Amino acid sequence: MQKAYKYSILYFLLFSILLLISSVLLFEEKIGFSVSGVLDYYLGNEEKFITAKSTAGVLKIILPHVFVFALFVMVVLHFLIFTKHKHTQKMKWLIYVSFFIAFGELFSPLLILYGLEFFAYIKLVSFVLFELLFLYLFWLLFESIIFST
Amino acid sequence: MSPILSGLLIFMALYMIIDIFVKQNSFGLWASEIKNTLFGNENEFLDPISKASFLEFIHTEIFFIMMILLTLSTVFIRLSNKLPYSLVLVNLTMLTALSSLFSLGIAYFYSPSFINIYVTTYLIWHITSFYMIIYSLWKLNFAKSI
Repeated sequence: MQKAYKYSILYFLLFSILLLISSVLLFEEKIGFSVSGVLDYYLGNEEKFITAKSTAGVLKIILPHVFVFALFVMVVLHFLIFTKHKHTQKMKWLIYVSFFIAFGELFSPLLILYGLEFFAYIKLVSFVLFELLFLYLFWLLFESIIFST
Repeated sequence: MSPILSGLLIFMALYMIIDIFVKQNSFGLWASEIKNTLFGNENEFLDPISKASFLEFIHTEIFFIMMILLTLSTVFIRLSNKLPYSLVLVNLTMLTALSSLFSLGIAYFYSPSFINIYVTTYLIWHITSFYMIIYSLWKLNFAKSI
C-alpha cells in the first residue's frame, strides 16, 4: 500500500473514533444506558413528561442510518481486505457479525414499539457491541498499517 | 474513469461551497454568530442550542467530513504523485478538519474561546480541500499526462 494512502486511512480511523465517541454521547444524552431509559425513550413516560415515539418517527431515524451503517461497515471492512486478515476465517466472521449487530441496533426500536419490551436489552447490547466491535476493527486496521512492511 | 471522477469532484466542490452558505444561514460562519448559536444571546432573545441538538449536529458533521475527505484524499493522492507538497496538503487538510471538530466540541463543553480556533481551522480545511479538488480536476481534464 502506498504511504500516502496509509495516511488517509489513519485519518479516517481518527474521524471514525470521533464518530463513535459522539454516538455514545448522543445515546447517553437522548436515551441513557439503562433498560428503563430505552423503554421510556420509545414508549414514553408520563411521570417524566416523555412522549412516546411513533412508528413513523422511528422509521425517520432508521432511514438515513440504514444506508450510513452499511456504508460505514463496508468501508471499514473493505480496508481490512488489503491487510494480512484477508481470506481468514476471522475476517468472514467479522463481516457477518458486523452486519448482524448493526441490524439489531437499527431495528430493535421498532419491535419495542410493537410491545416486545425484551428488545430494549437487544438495543442496549447491540449498541455496546457495535461500538466495541468497531474499536476492535480499528485496532486491526491500525496495527496492520503501522506494523506492515 | 475521468468523467466519473470529474463528476464526483465537481459535486464535492459544490458541497464545499453550499456548506459555507448553509453554515452562514443556520449555524454561523464567524465567531460572534457561532457564539450566539451555541450559547444564545439575551439581548437578541436567542435561546442556546440544546446539548442533544449540538451532539446531533457534530455527529452528522463528523460523518460527512470523514467520507468526503477520505474520498478526496485518495483521488488527490492518485493524481498528484509528482507534486512535492501533496502529502503536506493532505495532512494539513485532515489535521485542520479534525481540529475544527475538536475545537467546536471543546468550545461548547469547556471554553467558548475555542470558537476562534474552530473558525480558523474550518476555513483552512475548506480552502485546502477546494484546492485539492481544483488540482485533481485540472489534472484529470487538462494535464498532458497523469
